[in-house]
Amino acid sequence: MAKPELDESEQRDVTRLCIQSGLLLMQHGAESALVESVIRRLGLALGVGSVEVAIMANALTVTTLSGGHCITTVRRNEDRGINMHVVTETQRMMLSVEAGQLDLARAMSRLEEIKPYKYPRWLVVVLIGLSCACFARLGKADWTGCGVTFVAAAVAMAARQQLAHLHFSPLVNFFVTAFVATSVAAQGLIYKLGETPKIAMASCVLLLVPGVPLINAVSDMVKGYINTGISRWTMATLLTISTCGGIVLAMNVWKVWAWL
Amino acid sequence: MSFLLLLLQDMALAAVPALGFGMLFHVHPRILLYCALFGAVGHGLRFLLMDRFLLPIEWGTLVAATVVSFVGVYVAQSLRAHPKVFTVAAMIPMVPGVRAYTAMLAIVQINQKGYSEALFQTAVQNALQAFFTIGALAVGLAMPGLILYRRKPVV
Repeated sequence: MAKPELDESEQRDVTRLCIQSGLLLMQHGAESALVESVIRRLGLALGVGSVEVAIMANALTVTTLSGGHCITTVRRNEDRGINMHVVTETQRMMLSVEAGQLDLARAMSRLEEIKPYKYPRWLVVVLIGLSCACFARLGKADWTGCGVTFVAAAVAMAARQQLAHLHFSPLVNFFVTAFVATSVAAQGLIYKLGETPKIAMASCVLLLVPGVPLINAVSDMVKGYINTGISRWTMATLLTISTCGGIVLAMNVWKVWAWL
Repeated sequence: MSFLLLLLQDMALAAVPALGFGMLFHVHPRILLYCALFGAVGHGLRFLLMDRFLLPIEWGTLVAATVVSFVGVYVAQSLRAHPKVFTVAAMIPMVPGVRAYTAMLAIVQINQKGYSEALFQTAVQNALQAFFTIGALAVGLAMPGLILYRRKPVV
């Protein structure tokens, strides 16, 4: 079936919508395969002949082809932190377009309406504290150790949120947060709280494990996006190194060596 | 404690971090429950496989992640959301964080105190196990795309 050709301004709008959706996905922690498939399906559903996507670590390029005319556009990508709600909403917008429920203009306004969903900060602090306490319990810590882990992780999470709020680089953020967490947990070792203070020290920094970048890195590489996979893996490694720096500094300040 | 109780305890202890990290990743409340559910199922299954079937941690992780991702595809299709939205948070309890940090800290120690066989052994063993476990997690999550949905999108 031959598609009716789009005129230039329509094609330009479709291209803008495509790259804007792709950029939102990239900024909020979607893997490359999803970014590419959403952009491509969106463009094809809106009537362009073909869509080509090039994904780089910190930029996104989209070319649409319609009636022999190409439009190429590039956007710089900056990481906005993981927000799965934005990913879900962007994908649902694409699915609605594909189902014919949204036209171009309404798709654009729907995309602009997507706001990152935020949980109350105190709730995240409490739940991350509890999460790390559960990790401690899984690592066979006693209840006192779990309590120490809860306090250390919750304080660290509050620090992490504040530093992120002040737009510090994640590397600085993770360094300081690891220092805070280990400093609080080190008191358990200094004052001999419970039988398992070392497990508490190991568990309280688990809120800093870069799980999403690591998993995205491997899935990207498995699916053929070696470039973005390597850069994600490198970033995750840097974050781990930075966290270790914070741990080592805290252990040297408090004169406890709990890990090895 | 009986094995069933241990398993239930393991699942409950994994559900909380899956939920907590789901919040950290800003998963919408309506989907958040699935993070906890799949977190519990995944970690519990790995516990079962390692404890009863004596699978090494990497293989246990691979099987658990694969099962979660296949079930996740069905849930995802009814939710109209990509399965990664909730399965990644569900995998967090299985991410070998302590191993990764131990490896890195051993490397720091080698730099500070000088090379020793024991430190190097700690670094290499922990780093390798962390690497393979993360690989198993991610490959397990990619399984539906690799096996069933080869040329069509999952959602």
